[in-house]
Amino acid sequence: MNPVITGVGFITPIGNGPDEVERSLREGRHGMGPVEFLGNPELPVKLAGTVKGFEVDSPSWRDWSWPGRYDIPKDVLRGLAPHGVYALCAIEQALAHARLRASDIANDPSTGLYCASAGSAMLLHHNLSKMRAARGVRGNPLGVVSSIAGTLNFTLGAHFQITGAVCGFVSACASSSHALGYAIDDLRLGRLRRAIVVGAEELNADSLLPFAHMRVLSRHSEPRRASCPFDVGRTGFVGAGGAVAVILEVPDAAATRGAPALAVAAGWGQGADGYSVAASHPQGAGLRLSIERALADAGLGAGDIDYVSAHATSTTVGDLAEALALGQVFTARGLRPPVGATKGLTGHGLSLSGAMQAAFCVLSIMAGFMPGNPHLVTADPGCEGLELPRDAVLRAPLRVLSNSSGFGGSNVCHILAAPKRFTG
Amino acid sequence: MPSVPPTAPVPALARFPAAVHEAFHRYRAAGDPGAAEEVVIAAIVDYCPPGPGKLAAASNSARLLEDLGYDSVAVAELIFFLEDLFDVSIQNEDILAISTIGELRACVTRKLAGRPGAP
Repeated sequence: MNPVITGVGFITPIGNGPDEVERSLREGRHGMGPVEFLGNPELPVKLAGTVKGFEVDSPSWRDWSWPGRYDIPKDVLRGLAPHGVYALCAIEQALAHARLRASDIANDPSTGLYCASAGSAMLLHHNLSKMRAARGVRGNPLGVVSSIAGTLNFTLGAHFQITGAVCGFVSACASSSHALGYAIDDLRLGRLRRAIVVGAEELNADSLLPFAHMRVLSRHSEPRRASCPFDVGRTGFVGAGGAVAVILEVPDAAATRGAPALAVAAGWGQGADGYSVAASHPQGAGLRLSIERALADAGLGAGDIDYVSAHATSTTVGDLAEALALGQVFTARGLRPPVGATKGLTGHGLSLSGAMQAAFCVLSIMAGFMPGNPHLVTADPGCEGLELPRDAVLRAPLRVLSNSSGFGGSNVCHILAAPKRFTG
Repeated sequence: MPSVPPTAPVPALARFPAAVHEAFHRYRAAGDPGAAEEVVIAAIVDYCPPGPGKLAAASNSARLLEDLGYDSVAVAELIFFLEDLFDVSIQNEDILAISTIGELRACVTRKLAGRPGAP
């Protein structure tokens, strides 16, 4: 039994709802904008995938604002991190998309919540600085809850009154793909009938600048040159914030309440590089293993895949490793499914990345198109044999592969498929 | 506080009405305990979780948890705010002895009066 996806919610640089996101993906419209951190115009980080309609830059929740259609009570807000605001809104949106009310999931022991974020470095820093300034005598009572990795589980589990399972995943840029995978397993094992998966990250000096010090951010500030996955001129990634939520249900739970399946979670797999704290294995070994395991889990062969949603973030090492892994799985078998890297448009949302790609794949399946690589000019020679369309391909994929890779060599792949009414 | 104009906004009270800023300045200028209590009451109302309890905030006998809908974390946040604002320390033993608005007001007043250099 494979779970079905009945709703998705987007707070992303390229749109705050499925229609806007779909338009951006179809038209190749990026969501990056100028940023300045710490009041220092000299910093080399001048561009990011920014979230629109929210103001959560301050360490005080009293200064925050968000679109009026979302309901965030003050007693919930005070425990949230900035990215928790995004996450709560994405979940509200996904529930509505799935035709669920908050009361349908509250205190329902068959509903679980699977979260992924890196926590809030900004709030952690702010709260601990205040504690140190008071020489340890006092600190923000909600400092732990609002800032450490796990903040999404603590706050959203309580807010939505989730009783089936509440858990969190921290595997850097593979985190929300792990969350999705283990949610799928819990539904397949009959432990739960419904799962909410959410990935989120905030975008501020504390979340992004440390990556500049690792020398992994793009050196360019013009969007088309800055985030150009698989291009020979790529120099690093562009940071992004936001949140994406996905509602998974066992098929009969969705059918019972008349909710249409938007896509099927057909299989997933993971593999690891065992190679470096940060860099990908040069041949993409862990990613190749996770693709093969996802295919095996779905009972499919490489030839069954119509589209690949690449993890590619526009880094020199990571994109090449992924290209080589895809080459071994597809090109070596004479296969050329279109490969699209949506981080060219969104920037890289870190923990959010996997859930965001999976939800993009749901839109691809629903609306019958495959996002391309609009910022690609000259493909890296290592991509030889891969089909890398610049524009979106206006054809409906039946089965798509979505890749994620994170620090420490975590690799997670998902296969999403069209529901039966599409395939006849 | 001679260097601070008596009506200057207080950053920690940014979300509070002007009257609360003025009360805080009156306390700082003259040590007026009534003015400090005005600020305490405003903070109690501000930190009170949503619910029916807010109207009772002015009543000394109203209980923070049972009547106003406070939970233990909201109490801790309120205390943290008042400690930071007035630069006092309220110990766990003090907090355990507080259940009503009146007891909290009295506790803060006592702390302010007992502070070294208190007006």
